Amino acid sequence: MTLTATKPEGKVLIKGNYAIANAAVIAGCECYFGYPITPQSEIGEFMSGKMQELKRAYVSSESELASINMVIGACSTGAKAMTSSSSCAVSLMQEALSYATAEELPVVLVSVMRGGPGLGNIYPSQGDYNQATIGGGNGDYKLIVLAPGNVQECIDLTYKAFYLAHKYKNPTMVLADGLLGQMMEPVTFGDYPYPEVDDSAWALTGAKGRGRRVIRSYAPSADDQCVFLNKLYAKYALIEEKEVMYDEYMTEDADLIVASFGSMSRNVKSAVKIAREKGLKVGAFRPITISPFPNKRLKELSCSAKKFLVTEINMGQMVRDVRLAVNGKVPVEFYGKGVGSMIDVEDLVDKIESLIEV
Amino acid sequence: MEKSFIIAGFGGQGVLLAGEVLASAFMHDDKNVTWYPSYGAEMRGGTVNCQIVMSESEVSSVNKKEIDFVIALNDLSFDKFLPRLKKGGMMIANSSLVKEIKKRTDINYIFAPVTKMAAELGNVKMANILSLGVLAKASGLISVDKLTKALDTVLPPHRKNLLPKNIEALNLGFNFQPALV
Repeated sequence: MTLTATKPEGKVLIKGNYAIANAAVIAGCECYFGYPITPQSEIGEFMSGKMQELKRAYVSSESELASINMVIGACSTGAKAMTSSSSCAVSLMQEALSYATAEELPVVLVSVMRGGPGLGNIYPSQGDYNQATIGGGNGDYKLIVLAPGNVQECIDLTYKAFYLAHKYKNPTMVLADGLLGQMMEPVTFGDYPYPEVDDSAWALTGAKGRGRRVIRSYAPSADDQCVFLNKLYAKYALIEEKEVMYDEYMTEDADLIVASFGSMSRNVKSAVKIAREKGLKVGAFRPITISPFPNKRLKELSCSAKKFLVTEINMGQMVRDVRLAVNGKVPVEFYGKGVGSMIDVEDLVDKIESLIEV
Repeated sequence: MEKSFIIAGFGGQGVLLAGEVLASAFMHDDKNVTWYPSYGAEMRGGTVNCQIVMSESEVSSVNKKEIDFVIALNDLSFDKFLPRLKKGGMMIANSSLVKEIKKRTDINYIFAPVTKMAAELGNVKMANILSLGVLAKASGLISVDKLTKALDTVLPPHRKNLLPKNIEALNLGFNFQPALV
């Protein structure tokens, strides 16, 4: 890694993990707390040097539990703070994510998925779609989850994660995978494209000259908690209305729409191109925000498409959200692979052909 | 047009670096390109490889089944990636460490003793860059100029002193004349 300039000029060839880390620095991340785990260790490695060089805070924590709780502490002062981790270690952070959501804190978490369940292995996987979008914390809460499909999006969505986390005061996750973290691609960084969000109304900055503030999740009154939860869910409704992002390719007249997220979508788009050359009416759909999920758009597409195929590097997780969005209107098939590498383009084309012939 | 490359060898032969130089050269040539390493429970002395895909449109897939060009810097890599080459594809093998046996008849071979050539140039570690010169000539897909620019981009500031010698290695590889068989 030879990236010495924080904002390199023009195109640079860079690994997804370094791209995420450098984007966080450009986004103004003031505190990074982390514990190493493959396949995302380059993020912490980069931060360990860069944050010190810039006189920002870097702590190599004693555990993932400590990392995420340090992020909560930093965020409660209004600071831009983050941690990054992978699969089995993100499991350890679920409790804190529930707390951070109740405390309405702008936590940024990058999860670079590896194989599971349990300790699993370090190869690329998309097996934590459910962990990211549903989560293992308690209570009624949601994260904002952004799923980059290439290295440029690792940068763009890291910028966006900091912005959305602070704009909505809600924990926000960038969900990448081992392939995206380890691969290199030419990218441009540019400037952080979002306005700074004013946190002066809530941040804990010392009570000099103003009343005290308390940030906590403890809610002793059931009535008050109902009011709070309604407010929280009104916020989620607003996020769904304003922030849903997706990418479509040749869906207008498609009989079959192939849905995928993250790095799998590159192969899907290529397969769709080949199938189109063969005269098959196929399109590709990719949610970029997987939480909130683009339900409305998928529902619209289910009026024109005759069938959906969902492909993932897991045993079938996003397929459930697609089925809920389509709500039985058309069949939704699944084609997956547990872990390791993306499904080959040729195999996807075969699958598409088999579904259109039937 | 899309072309795929695998560079493979022992850990320590500079396989990943050579891949980064090649990918960077394609970037300087305004091509779309991806670089994907084998990563896993690897160790020094074990085999390592990376795959580079260059495309004039979007890269279709980062990790392709069938490959256009393989650079095999050791015998294990030669055996492992020979079956992955497309018909008509090209195997560039380090004949200092690989036996010159043509197990497949539907591909092209260049056997170049890059380890020996690098040693004669002054440092055995330059076999990786030397093999990129061989690839540049054999494929016609990238120029020595762009590879030179890429070397300058990829080498960290404290290694810039190695640049002139590596440029020599590139040119030596480019000018290598394979024996006519």
